[in-house]
Amino acid sequence: MAVIRDMISGFELFQPTAVDDAIELLSRYGDDGWVLSGGLDSFDWFKDRIKKPTAVVDLANVEELKGVRISSDGVEIGAMTTITEVSKHPHLLENYSILAQAAGHIATPQIRNRGTLGGNLSQDTRCWYYRSGWPCYRAGGNVCYAGTPTSMNREHCITGASRCVAVNPSDSAPALIALGAQFVIRGPRGEKIVEAQDYFMSPAVDIQRMTVLKADELLTSIRIPATWSGTDFYYEKMEDRKAWDFALVSVASAIKINGGVIEDARLAVNGIAPFPVRLEVVESFIKGKEPTDELGMAAGQLSLSTINAQPLRHNGFKLPLMRNLVRRSIRGTEG
Amino acid sequence: MELWRKLANPWGQEVLIGISWDLMWAALVFGLGFVAVHFVWARAKANGTSGSDHSESNSSKGWNLPVKVLRHAISERVFHWLMSAAMIVLLVTAFFPIVGVQFAWVEIHWIAGLVLAVTILYHIIQATVWQNFWAMWIDKDDIKAGKLELNNILSKDEEEAPKAGKYPVDHKLFHHAASVAGLLAIATGLLMMLRIDTWFGPADPDRFFSDAQWGVVYVLHGLGGVGLITLVITHIYFAVRPDKWWITKSMFFGWITRDDYLKHHDPERWVVGKKEAPGQEEGGAGPADSRLTHGEGNRAT
Amino acid sequence: MAEKLIGQDISPPDLIAKITGRAKYSEDFRADGMIFAKLLLSPMPHCRVRRIDASAALAMEGVFGMLTADDVPAVDAPGEPCLTNEPLYEGEAILAIAAVDETTAAEAIELIQIDYEPLPFVLNPLDSLHPDGPNGRLEGNTRVGREIKTIKWTQEDFDIAGPEKMPMGEPSDEWTVGDIEKGFSEAKVILDETVVHQSLTHHPMEPRSTMAYWKNGKIYMHTSTQSVSRTRAALANMLDLDLEDVVLVGEFCGGGFGSKISGSPIMQVPAHLSRKLNRPVMLRITRYEENYLGRARPGMQARIKIGFREDGRITALDIYALGDGGPYGTNDHMSGGSTASLAYQPLNQRQRGVGVYTNTPPKAAQRGPGGAQYIGMLEPLMDKAARELGIDRLDLRRINAPDGNSVFGPRQGGLTSVHVKEAIEKGVELFGWNERIQRSGQLNGTKKTGIGLAISPYTAGSTGFDGLLVIRPDGKLQIHQGIGNLGTHSIADTGRAAADVLGLQWKDCEIVWGDTSQHLPWSSVQAGSQTTFAHTRANHAAGMDAKRKLQEIAALDLGGSPSDYETSDGRVFRRSNPSRGMSLGAAAERAISLGGTYSGAEPAEDLNDMTKMAVRGLEGKGLVAAARDNYPREGAIQSWVVGFAEVEVDVETGQVDLINYTGVADVGTVLHPRSLRAQGLGGSIQGMGIAMSQKWVFDPVWGVSFANRLYTARPPGMLDIPLDMDWAAVEIPDPQNPVGAKGIGEPPVGAGSAALTSAIADALDGRCLCRTPLTADVILAEIEGLEPAYGPLDLHV
Repeated sequence: MAVIRDMISGFELFQPTAVDDAIELLSRYGDDGWVLSGGLDSFDWFKDRIKKPTAVVDLANVEELKGVRISSDGVEIGAMTTITEVSKHPHLLENYSILAQAAGHIATPQIRNRGTLGGNLSQDTRCWYYRSGWPCYRAGGNVCYAGTPTSMNREHCITGASRCVAVNPSDSAPALIALGAQFVIRGPRGEKIVEAQDYFMSPAVDIQRMTVLKADELLTSIRIPATWSGTDFYYEKMEDRKAWDFALVSVASAIKINGGVIEDARLAVNGIAPFPVRLEVVESFIKGKEPTDELGMAAGQLSLSTINAQPLRHNGFKLPLMRNLVRRSIRGTEG
Repeated sequence: MELWRKLANPWGQEVLIGISWDLMWAALVFGLGFVAVHFVWARAKANGTSGSDHSESNSSKGWNLPVKVLRHAISERVFHWLMSAAMIVLLVTAFFPIVGVQFAWVEIHWIAGLVLAVTILYHIIQATVWQNFWAMWIDKDDIKAGKLELNNILSKDEEEAPKAGKYPVDHKLFHHAASVAGLLAIATGLLMMLRIDTWFGPADPDRFFSDAQWGVVYVLHGLGGVGLITLVITHIYFAVRPDKWWITKSMFFGWITRDDYLKHHDPERWVVGKKEAPGQEEGGAGPADSRLTHGEGNRAT
Repeated sequence: MAEKLIGQDISPPDLIAKITGRAKYSEDFRADGMIFAKLLLSPMPHCRVRRIDASAALAMEGVFGMLTADDVPAVDAPGEPCLTNEPLYEGEAILAIAAVDETTAAEAIELIQIDYEPLPFVLNPLDSLHPDGPNGRLEGNTRVGREIKTIKWTQEDFDIAGPEKMPMGEPSDEWTVGDIEKGFSEAKVILDETVVHQSLTHHPMEPRSTMAYWKNGKIYMHTSTQSVSRTRAALANMLDLDLEDVVLVGEFCGGGFGSKISGSPIMQVPAHLSRKLNRPVMLRITRYEENYLGRARPGMQARIKIGFREDGRITALDIYALGDGGPYGTNDHMSGGSTASLAYQPLNQRQRGVGVYTNTPPKAAQRGPGGAQYIGMLEPLMDKAARELGIDRLDLRRINAPDGNSVFGPRQGGLTSVHVKEAIEKGVELFGWNERIQRSGQLNGTKKTGIGLAISPYTAGSTGFDGLLVIRPDGKLQIHQGIGNLGTHSIADTGRAAADVLGLQWKDCEIVWGDTSQHLPWSSVQAGSQTTFAHTRANHAAGMDAKRKLQEIAALDLGGSPSDYETSDGRVFRRSNPSRGMSLGAAAERAISLGGTYSGAEPAEDLNDMTKMAVRGLEGKGLVAAARDNYPREGAIQSWVVGFAEVEVDVETGQVDLINYTGVADVGTVLHPRSLRAQGLGGSIQGMGIAMSQKWVFDPVWGVSFANRLYTARPPGMLDIPLDMDWAAVEIPDPQNPVGAKGIGEPPVGAGSAALTSAIADALDGRCLCRTPLTADVILAEIEGLEPAYGPLDLHV
């Protein structure tokens, strides 16, 4: 069968107005169904005719999935809330600026207007071997083309690989892990809540999925507890261009400082593994210490050994890059 | 039912990726189906015949036999159980994720595969160097026995099959089938370790084979794997059948009773004791443990 | 007397249509019964099509037919066919299917079964020169003269060079000026560097879509092209038609950068398909297809040896460059040598090279072809030498820069004008070099400042084309432009030369362009920065012809001799008595009645046939003036941009922030200041993409490309460039152009690219990384002292 790209093939479009209806549709179509949120990831797949779902369930009209709801114990963000709204929301900017900042680094303003927080968290990897339709593990095949001695893998992972060496592309994910967010998932069997870092799938467990979402489940909202509201945050995304690019490495930290020493901290990194990585060892290491550059450097070094960083042929730079970003996330940008 | 999984390679050429998982279900159904049919058949058979007789057959006459006959030395038993454990782990790690029980299986799978490979290697060396390699060989008597057994199954006629040597013909057949499937899976599995990061180095998937050739490797691995599903099911089924407990027990404790020995084996073909000198009692003079005597395996024919 | 139009900011006539979306690009056209075509592209970098089974596709409802390589004229190697049975790169078009809509066509393509025989392929020129390396084409791996040959270097060539330096075996091309050995013997400092420049897809915003139909033996084509008259000629040639039988419409072109100079080979597909199926056929090229069919700048690997005298003068420049010529062998690894010769005036120079066929998308001229790569590769080396010599970097440029008497290149020809030294001084002032250079190497937090500069010349004109004007009975001047509308404003701005000759206001001028049925003259290609120089001259000549004819008509009707008359403000009148005269409209009526050369009935002999055809076509429309540019010209026409950049390199991440960029041009007289600034900074930004982010990536095992989307190819975006950019021109007229103007399109690219690589090297304490793009990973690896992830000669990474 000859291959042709850049031409979306036909599918049946459903535009439910309620979550339960959407789930009903997804259950009906199973693996032939597809959840469409902002479409930035989906349409790439559709245009390339690599993914050809028979039924597309567009969540654009499901109002209950949209908006930021503020409560006394935190904030709940609907999965279909646009990234622009997340990046500009006054309450988020004031209390959880790390998330707004991370959202503001996603892609381009145009994409942020269309893209949703849930979509950003649930998107597929950008490994170009996989996105080119090659029959790799993630595509149901039996090889990782990106992990060979000759592969072009500058953008790929330095830890967490299991056959597949792709990285998770989400910019908002590390921020939400640092904020201790919980993700609400609804499916035909009801609702369940997972910790942010548990939402993401390791290829060791399921090499064909990026998240724990099953075909008939939806990420409905993201709950951020008030625990970290207004603490010292740091977010940085290193990318090749200042817009319209995925992170080479990104870091997010929430650090509570009391009397000059770190009382509590949460750190997460993305762009280094097939899933965003929380650095718990580093978190406990820095507790009770002053957030100096020396501590940052030590923490950066520790982060590399914690994740047992193993570079591929072309991505050795991610080691010092991650080390330095972790370092900066503890001591701030200025040295 | 699909037989193969195929995908287009980066140049758009269709290549084999592996066997279709339909074959896994087929192997499962086939294995369980065999068990069910056998179970029903064995029930019917048992109802149709009188209770078993415990009389010693003529063939035992004139042999000096211990009370317990050692069927599997400790080394063999350790080998068997290690291999079984590895095999179960391999099957679980291979097939559970496919049916939806998801966990990080890859590392466990290849490590278990290594364990299996090492045990098999040990077994081959042991069988070649220290044991009678030909004990598993199917000889003329086995073929005759096999024919009669088959005839007994297919017809109403009952003709006593000749008794087996150390290993009955059905055991031998199982052993060979398992060897083929196991060795296929092991050999291909070892090659497949090149495609992932292991203790022995990072993945180097383009080494040795083209993608089309790798497809064949994956298909063989899959065929070995699903073959083992059927074989393991039938193996476990027979092991837990009461009429085979005497063998199963021997895999735990090593020995079988003299009665079982005499009932199921031909002392001429599985030489355990010594030809009795006239007047000598059974369980006579022997080395340290005179109650337990090693068999030598089948007599070479 | 009307104020001179040249030098003013005047919006071009197509602006509102573009901004409001009313502008119709080629894919916006429809014709009755039109169907759509889709292409099947090769999945392999080199293969042979053994068998095509399209039965299922052709049986689909809504499918009209197919066009394969067997249906189109064969092309002799190494020419490029529009469809092929031996694809030489991944993404080359094999066949086209036409259907009622694109969805159907795409589905039909998916039903086609093709049996391919894979053939050897090569991506990196050096691999092909290896003793047992593969050839990109079955006929050989390079072209020597007009023949395809195979050049293999010896193992010894490779062994001598070692892994870090580029080997230098037998070249296919070579020229020498002076005595290179003597030059090096006089040098105090000698650099010997191996440099890699990436290949880059042009990626204009508008893909090369085409719609074609036939009527009464004539082809009507709407296509995205840089040049109109020249594309018409090319199309007539490709389809073996008379010029009269080709009507080409290309009013707007969403960018080309050299990739659509005379259209492109793929435009033949709808032409042939339309003829075969007897229906209008639209072929819309997608972004993905554009990546493959859309041309690319040839990358190169080079060994550069430069010798400097103690005073900084370059005594010897020895360059050996390998060109990544793609499958059809378009290369600029040799032409860059002339640019280097011009920019640095080496006392002795040797230029050697091999252009190697590779199985990568076809190459074409890309804005500043050759020159941009060479300047980008050489300027950081100039900085390195300056450090070793202990000479100020600016002084090193001043010492080696050419002046009015300079000659350059293999033929050691002169120049029409050169004012690069003035441009340097103006830039030093505008950029604030003396203040900024104080910050060089300073670490502020984690950010280290680097200051860079680059001097970038490029060809900026050609001569000998035709201008064509009509003075209508309503008194308006119609300026017919055969060049294309690439977005450079040339169609309007070069017409000002004619209007100024006649003393007309801009509101009385109308531009006719983009549709050959509207009678367009023979023109230069809209490429190579040619049009400003070429068509101010041609339009000036036509203006003079119009003026002469007006004077003659006035003298005929009003007495006196023609030279007694002047034209201005819509009238031709007696110089001594301005009230005695006639309106241009009246003169136009008179020209119609006079006929002959006045009405267009008798075109001048020296005009190109295409122009003559256009002149005759305009007969009776007014006073028709047409003239060939016969103005003398001596020396090469070269424009210059001197670029200055300040960057901050984050030493913890390798990220580069461009703080300021300033460009100063030597382009002669400025035609249109706002447009010049847009061209100068736009071209510089394109160069910044070369320096910092844009690239090609191929998988070496499968020979397939990955950076085939805009987001993976990474051209620079708005946020990658500083808000703070300055621009100026030295504004010294070129004496060999009647209005003093030279072109601007090409030279800013090299300036933007090299100013950045120079500034980054400055921030790295003078360490030159000798490759582009300088992405953060490459910079961070250097800062951290890591083993480089890429070998010194790795391409497409």
